[in-house]
Parts: sequence; structure tokens; C-alpha cells
Amino acid sequence: MNPILEIMNLTVRYKIKNKEIHAVEDISLLVNKEEFVGIVGESGSGKSTMAHAIVRLLPPNAYIKNGRVNLLGYDLINMSDEEVMKVRWKDFSIVFQKSMSALSPVHRIDDQMMEAIKLHNPQISQQEIESRLDKLLQMVNLPKRVLKSYPHELSGGMMQRVMIALALVNFPKFVIFDEATTALDVVTQGQIIEEVRQLVKELSLTGMVITHDIGVVNELCDKIAVMYAGKLVEYGPKSDIIHNPYHPYTKALISSLPDFIKERGEFAGIPGNLPDLSQLPKGCIFAPRCPLADEKCFEQVPSLLRNDDRQVACFKVKEVKT
Amino acid sequence: MSYFARYLTRRIVSAVLLIFIVMTLNFFIIHSAPGDPVTIMTGIEQPSKEIVETLKKKYGLDEPVFVQYVKYITNLFKGDLGYSYVYDQSSWSLIKERVFPTLILTLSGSILAFIIGVFLAIFVSHLKTKFGDTIVSIISYILYATPSFWLGLIMILVFSSKLSWFPTSGMYNLRETYTGFKKILDFLHHLTLPVLTLMLIQMPVFYRVTRASIIQNYKEDYVTTLTAIGVPKRKLFRKYIVKNSIIPPLTIFGITLGFSITGAALIEIVFAWPGMGRLMLDAIFRRDYQLLLGIYFLMAIFISVAMILTDIVIAFIDPRIRLT
Amino acid sequence: MRKFGDFVRRYFTNPYGVVGFAIFVTLLCFAIFAFYISPYKPNALSEDVLSPPSYKHPFGTDHLGRDIFSRVVYGTRVSLSVGFVAAGISALLGIFIGAFSGYYGGIVDEIVSKIIDSFLMIPIFFLILIIVAIFGSNLFYIMLVIGLTTWPSNARIMRAQTLSLKERGLVKIAKSIGESNIRILFSHIIPNGMYPVVANSALQMGGAILTEAALSFLGLGDPNVTSWGKMINEARTYMSFAWWTIVFPGIFTILAVVAFSFIGDGLQHTLYPKLSGVESE
Repeated sequence: MNPILEIMNLTVRYKIKNKEIHAVEDISLLVNKEEFVGIVGESGSGKSTMAHAIVRLLPPNAYIKNGRVNLLGYDLINMSDEEVMKVRWKDFSIVFQKSMSALSPVHRIDDQMMEAIKLHNPQISQQEIESRLDKLLQMVNLPKRVLKSYPHELSGGMMQRVMIALALVNFPKFVIFDEATTALDVVTQGQIIEEVRQLVKELSLTGMVITHDIGVVNELCDKIAVMYAGKLVEYGPKSDIIHNPYHPYTKALISSLPDFIKERGEFAGIPGNLPDLSQLPKGCIFAPRCPLADEKCFEQVPSLLRNDDRQVACFKVKEVKT
Repeated sequence: MSYFARYLTRRIVSAVLLIFIVMTLNFFIIHSAPGDPVTIMTGIEQPSKEIVETLKKKYGLDEPVFVQYVKYITNLFKGDLGYSYVYDQSSWSLIKERVFPTLILTLSGSILAFIIGVFLAIFVSHLKTKFGDTIVSIISYILYATPSFWLGLIMILVFSSKLSWFPTSGMYNLRETYTGFKKILDFLHHLTLPVLTLMLIQMPVFYRVTRASIIQNYKEDYVTTLTAIGVPKRKLFRKYIVKNSIIPPLTIFGITLGFSITGAALIEIVFAWPGMGRLMLDAIFRRDYQLLLGIYFLMAIFISVAMILTDIVIAFIDPRIRLT
Repeated sequence: MRKFGDFVRRYFTNPYGVVGFAIFVTLLCFAIFAFYISPYKPNALSEDVLSPPSYKHPFGTDHLGRDIFSRVVYGTRVSLSVGFVAAGISALLGIFIGAFSGYYGGIVDEIVSKIIDSFLMIPIFFLILIIVAIFGSNLFYIMLVIGLTTWPSNARIMRAQTLSLKERGLVKIAKSIGESNIRILFSHIIPNGMYPVVANSALQMGGAILTEAALSFLGLGDPNVTSWGKMINEARTYMSFAWWTIVFPGIFTILAVVAFSFIGDGLQHTLYPKLSGVESE
């Protein structure tokens, strides 16, 4: 198994006023070639922060406290900003969630996409650029006229496809999808998921899918990593996680789905709120909301139990079977 | 009809409506003035019998106010700006030679204020130090709070009286008769202080709006996207931030014209600049309301035209506008 | 009450707000304690005509020998009252018209909106000019006219607030339990939506001061009153050899308007902290 992406003990903090928010706490993760790992968690779980940290796009008030990221042989954390700028968007990229101003509203789509190509292929000819853009648009099922359009002229679904095409513009090997389907209606979401599946096969992509929607992860991913309040609580192959979750949080997450991807009948929300991330508790971070928590859970931080591909961080789990 | 033509038509209709409202307002204010309408209208204390008769016929002074109003508006549409009985000339003949000086003062002042204000904001943002922003910010607050006429007087005090670099008043040197190039230079020499004053008064608004726009744009998602792609900071600023940030100041350019005309009028008075502002003041003091209405009408037209032109420019730069 | 305390505390974290408030308080003291602060009566003539600033006359004297410092101090009363009354009238009118128009909607709202838009585009000063020229230049009258011509910007703000508050749960609940529209307007919409109008009013106070100064400069101000604008007008003839006659009234005008601008900004930042931020780029 050759890992394309190796995250080791990644810790990311935000500085807000005089407090420090522990957004991502000691996360370690592996993504192998042509694997797709889904990162699930509720809002505030740190999944998006982690994604931005990997590609070195953290906002100015955030910093990487600790950890290493090895992506396609690049030691991303220890590279300078200039060095990262050179390699980012060549071999790896990120698909952002479409938003009102995901691209500059006063410049055309082709103008902005061309930047991505020209900046990393300085010798490329105009002809090649144009043929590449045409090909990309075909790949994401967009009509040619999109190239000469402005962002506001496109529908939500089209804009999201543009963001996907933009990410693929230099035919990367690794792509992160950061909440790429969250702002779309169900129908469009379904279409895009299907299109992404094709693209992944066609281009032999490896990737990460950040989302709060387990349904999306079910369609696109081979493995699932569950994050809660900045920590990785469970990890494993998709069907294992969905049908046989170990961690109480994962269990609650799965059973709060009203639905058809698993056979259970129970239906429950998860009571409580995310903890205050400016103060790390002594014990397990999920303890306050956990139905199974006892004294030990509040006193000590559970370490990761692993067995091959399966990991859980919970005192209540006796053993991990693959 | 193309989107653009429809847009233009709508703007023109709005403008006409606006002028209409303004003139109506002014008309009724004048007509609610205490005193005999003929006296008020002519501005003369004891109008002669002929004048009274002519006026009564032309403006229907015997008739109810509403009829007078209709007559007035129809006259306006015919291009009749009224007759100044104080000066014994048609309003237009008095106004027409004042139009150019006012136009050139107002336009140069406003456009320069726009350019300098926007450039200053871009420059300060480029510098990135908070110090530069604070200094320019405070200066812009002070300039915004400065009365235009006071600033003009101070300019005269410093640059004309003390330093003798510039003339104190007027548009041309009345003691000499220059021709051709020398005349233009003389004109520019006289134009400098008034335009400088107007520019300084107007500049703060453009600076502040542009600066706020630049700051706001840096928080937009496209900055993250373009940075991710690999666009270096300088190019990001020069190509993307600047073009996006220029739209708000352009949008308010039209709105500021109302204020710049006010400022220009006061500045004309201070510098004895032979424009409509001075004429307006005289008209007020001589109670020459006909003339005043004519001046207001013309000003309303200028502002409307300028606003429409600005809107057209904005439509060219901001692609989001074209569809509405 | 606690909310107010928070509000005040947050306001004073903004440097502009603090400075503006400080200047304002100083000017207020000048106005209230004018009698004690000014060394001379503002209209007291003397033989020291056009004398430069000195220990005896810190701001010098004008062409009638009157002490400029005292006149400037008394002038503060005029400016601050104009600011408050004019902006106050404008705010009251703006709040009521904006709230009622936005709440009831319909064709009345459309007409009011058109009026608001028109007013906002035309140079108001000329309107004020013509009214004052025709009807008279008593100080209170001037304040009234300024208030009556500047309410549209407040109305527009209040109307926008009303439109968004109208959809809020609180208002819908009140309606469903049968509260009368008037009550809803006065107990929910206006108290909750008026804050941006307050911030705007601070700026309008500065504008009113400048307008009054311009009117006085043109000779249309109240002749019985010592205003800074009038002082500037009177100083015109003498300024080239007596700079103090024109400089000090101007500086105080600027000071007052700057103070109100700062206060307005401070209020804006306190109300909408998200919009502030010269931080990261």
C-alpha cells in the first residue's frame, strides 16, 4: 500500500482575541493510492480546517502548532509559502464549495481558469490552453459558453462544476473536495456526485471528501474518518463504519440518519453541543455528550486503538475487529 | 430591445421624473411664499401695469395655482426657462455664459477627487502598514469636516495673499488681454485654487469608500481560490482586487455630484468665479425667483445627465449590472 | 440595562469613538459653561480692533474689537443646538416615516420610497437655501428646515430595518396573538430598528453644522446670533491681514464636525462589529 497522503499528529490552532481555539488536535491519517477517504463530522469538528491546513490555505489568524503532512512526497508543513505556491495546483488541488464569490465576479471564467494553467505551465501555448479548457468542460458536462461567462451568470450547479473543473485543470493526482456538494439542492447534488465518480475513475484520482453528509461519503468513499471537536474518533472502511460503528459518537451519527443505507430502525439526534474549543478538557472530548461516559472518560484522553485499517479512540471499546 | 437599451431608457425616465419632482417642489415653495405673487415673481416692488398683464397671461396668475403649475411645466418643456425681470433679460441668456465655468469647475474637481481618492486608497492598501491608513484616514475625516468656503478662503489667504502664487479671484486676468495659448494658461492659473479646493473637499468620500471596498474584497472567497491556484499577491491585488474595488466608488460618484455642485457654488462665490453659483446667490438676494428656478432646472439636468453617464460607465465595468 | 452597559463598554474600545466623544464633551462644556469660560462678553466692543492673539485675547480680536475666543465659545452653543435640533427632527421624522411606510407597505410605501430616492439625489442645500431665503432666517427656523429636508436618509435606513424586522419571529408572534399594528410598531419595530438611525444622526449633526455655517456665510443665517459661519463671513474682508479672524472659527467648525463623524463611526462599529476591521488582508 503506498500512501499518497500521510498526516502525522497534525495540530492546528486559531487565535481569536486572547483565546486559542483548538481546531484540530493531534490527527494522524493515511490515504493510499486511488483511495477516497471521507472526513465526516458536524460543523465545527475541524474537518475543513484540517483540509485547509494540508494545502496551506489557513487564514492569517490560524497556525499549525504541530505535525507533519507528507503529500506526494512534499513535506507541506515545512515548506515556505513560495515553495508551496509552486506545487499547489499542479499535482494536488482542492475543490471549494461554490459560493457567491468563489471566483472574481468581474472576470470571466476562462480568464480565471487560464491563470491556473499558465501559472504552472509557463511554456504552454494558447492553443493547448484552449483545447485543455474545452476538454475539462466536457468532463464536467458544461457547455462551451460557460468559458466566456461571468460567475453570476451560472447556476449553483454549474458553478460547482466549474470549481471541479478548475481543480482538475492541471490533471492532479490528489484532490480534496471541501463541502463541495453542501450548498446544492438534492437533485444537483446527486448529479454532481455521479459525475465526480466518473471523473475519479477516468483520472485515477486519489482524494479526500470533507462533508457532514454521510450519504455523500457513502457514494464516493472507500474509507471514512469521523472527526469530533478536532479529534479523530474513528476510522475504517466505509461499510464497517456504517454497519458496525464502534465509537458512541459514530453510532449516534449513523443512527441519526433517517434512512436506507443501514438497516436499523432507531432514530435519534445527538443531544448537547460542541464543547468550548478554547479549553481542552482533561479527558475524552466527547464525554460530556456521551451516554456511556464514566469517571475514567472524564479523567484521561483515550488513545487510538488500531487494528490494520480500523481505529477507534474510546475507553468503552474493548477490542477492534476488522 | 437589448438589455442595455432598456437599462438606459429606465435611467432616462427616472431622471426626467426626478427633474419633474424637483421643479414641482421648487415651484410650490415659491408659490407659498408670503406676499403678492406678481411681486414675488418679478422681484420688483412696484411692477408696471404692462408687466402685470403680460405675466398674468403667460403664467395665468389669476388662475388657480394648479393651472399656473401646468403652464409653468409646459413652458419648461418648451425650453423656456423664464424671464428675469430683475435683469430684464431671459433667464437663459443670463445663465448660458455661466454654464461653462461651473461645468468645468465641478467636473474637474469631482473627477480629480475621484482619481486621487481611489488612488490613495489603493496606495495605502498596497503599503499594508496600519500607520499609513490611520494618517490618511484622519486627514480625510478632517477634510470632510471642512466647510468648502472656509477652505477656499484659506487657500486664498495662503496661496494668493501671502505667497502670491495664484490670483485671488476671477476666471481671467481682467487687466490683460491674452490670446491663444497664453489665454489658456491664464485660465488654468485661475482655475487651480478653486479646483484644488473642490477636490480636497470631495476626496475623502472616495478614499473611504474605496478603502472599505478593498478591505471587504480581501475577505471574499475568490481571494482564497485565486491564492490557492497560485496567483501571486501582487497580481491578485493589481488585477483582481483593484477591479472589484473600484465599483463602489464609481457607484457613488453620481450621488456625490449633488454635493459637489453645492460645494462648487460656494467655491464660486469665494473665488468670484463667474459660474452659476454666483448668479444663484445674486438671484436669491434680489428675490429673482424666475432666474433661480431656471438655474435649478439646469442644475437638475446636469446632475441627471452625469448620473446616467456614470451608470453607463459602471455597466461597462461591472458585468453583474447588464442583466438587470 | 445590562445590554446598555455592554454597548457603552464596546463603544469605548473604538479609538475614533473615544476621541469623538472627548471632543464632543469638551465642546459641550464650552457651550454650557460659556459664561464662565469666556473672558469677555461675545458682543463686547473694544478699542483693540483686529489685534493678533495675545495673552489678553487668546484668539485675537475682530474688526469691532470683540474677543474672538469668547465669540467662538458662545458660537459653540449655536452649532451644537443646530446639530441636535436639526438632526433630532430629521431622526424623528425619518424613524416614523420609514417605520410606517415599511410596515404597511403597499402603494403608500412605493410613493414614499420614490420621494426618499429623489431627495437623496438632489442637492438639498439649494432647497434649504430657497426656503430660508423666502421664509426667513430665524435660527430655529433654520434648524426646522434642515430637519425637514434631511429625514429621507434616516427614513431609508429605518424602512430597511422595518422590512427585515417585519419577518422576524417576534413580530409574527405578536401579530398572531392579536397585538395591534400600532403597538407592534412602537414596542417592537422602532425600539429594535432605530439604532442605525442613531448612528446616522451623529453624522447628520455634523452636516447640519456645515449647512448652518454655509447659510450664515451667505448672509442667510440668523442675524441675531453669533455663529461660526457668520464669523467667517465677517472675516473675509480682514483675513489677509488678520488671519486669526478666520482661522479659529473654521478650526472649531472642523473640530465639531470631526467629533460627530468620529462618534457616528464609533456607533457604527459598536452596532456592527463585523463590518469593522482593518486587520488581516
